[in-house]
Amino acid sequence: MEFKDYYKILGVAPDAEKADIKVAYRKLARKFHPDLNPDEGAEASFKEVAEAWEVLKDSERRAEYDELRRYGGRQREGFEPPPGWQSASGQQHHSADFSDFFNEIFGSGFGREPHGAPGGSGFRGQDVEIELPVFLEETVTDASKPVEYELPVIEAGGIRRVKKSLKVTIPAGTADGERIRVKGQGSPGQGDAPAGDLYLHVRLVPHPVFDLKGHNLLVTVPVAPWEAALGAKVTVPTLEGEIKLTVAPGSQSGQKLRVRGRGLSKRDGKGDLYAVLKVVMPPTVDAETEALWQTLATKAAFDPRKEWSKR
Amino acid sequence: MMSTLVRITVSEFCEQEGLSRRTVAELVECDVARPLNEGSAADWQFDATGVHWMKRAIRLQRDFELDWVTVATMIDLLRQRERLLKENQNLRRQLGRFLKSEEH
Repeated sequence: MEFKDYYKILGVAPDAEKADIKVAYRKLARKFHPDLNPDEGAEASFKEVAEAWEVLKDSERRAEYDELRRYGGRQREGFEPPPGWQSASGQQHHSADFSDFFNEIFGSGFGREPHGAPGGSGFRGQDVEIELPVFLEETVTDASKPVEYELPVIEAGGIRRVKKSLKVTIPAGTADGERIRVKGQGSPGQGDAPAGDLYLHVRLVPHPVFDLKGHNLLVTVPVAPWEAALGAKVTVPTLEGEIKLTVAPGSQSGQKLRVRGRGLSKRDGKGDLYAVLKVVMPPTVDAETEALWQTLATKAAFDPRKEWSKR
Repeated sequence: MMSTLVRITVSEFCEQEGLSRRTVAELVECDVARPLNEGSAADWQFDATGVHWMKRAIRLQRDFELDWVTVATMIDLLRQRERLLKENQNLRRQLGRFLKSEEH
């Protein structure tokens, strides 16, 4: 078992005052707290810092720790507590939030117990939250989806990660960022305590054609300059097949056309589809076409930058 | 196939997290979460997103030893940040479809 140097983790001297230790803890907690810092590795760093603070903030536990540190703090890898060691403040519950060193020395029956409600003979298992990528098409109707994830399982002497897979129902109308609760599929509880829950954080996968605005869909529709000028009927994709859309004469690039009820499902109906027109020039033109453009330029006498010349 | 439970009752949430009803009422008063149903606090139900924000608030309160008003302000800012990041991502994607990047 690796010996944890809590003073080093918090960057304080072994004889530091509690007030200074608290300042050091708060600075590091601000930096690494997983609710403030989503970076990979931040949570692991925060757990180390929180564990150090849990021990050093309490004078009785700090005294016990200091005693152990004097006893064997130099044996980094192969540290073992003295024979018959038992903490005056700990109970023998293991916590997945703390290191093996902490669980071995103090147990976790006090202080920072993340799921504070004991049930039966032990603590309820941890809730687990994972991101679930969902395709737009899967939100149109109730969809069954396989989910694979890892769970921390607390066993005698340590914490093991096990793979788990199950199928969940994604209710129709589930929106990006929503969370779905699957009861009892989190980490197993200790003893006969109930398991935690699984929370699925829905992330809609970016679509090659459609963009999202709430429950409304946006589709960018390329149109030729003459279609914008003269009007046209164009075929536009929706999530449920193609539709014909009327482009009015004199349409502008960026103009939005609303098609009611062709967006994503909501609990109370459906969102809309917005077709955004994008005027596209032909990539190449032959001499005859160029001559026609030239005629148009002369006849139309249009200055799109007229506003600028007023300045 | 697992069924997905969208709602959680206030009593189930309090039992799971080892919280008092008073704490949940404070979280609701501070707008950290809104019950899905109106009426008596004993009958409140929350969706999974409400549970997520309440759990974050409880962790922040515990880990930084803060009062609920400060925690609620943090949650408000975190929610705003999440919404703006998503909006920014969506707008960038839309812009990318509309503009052809070209060096001049």
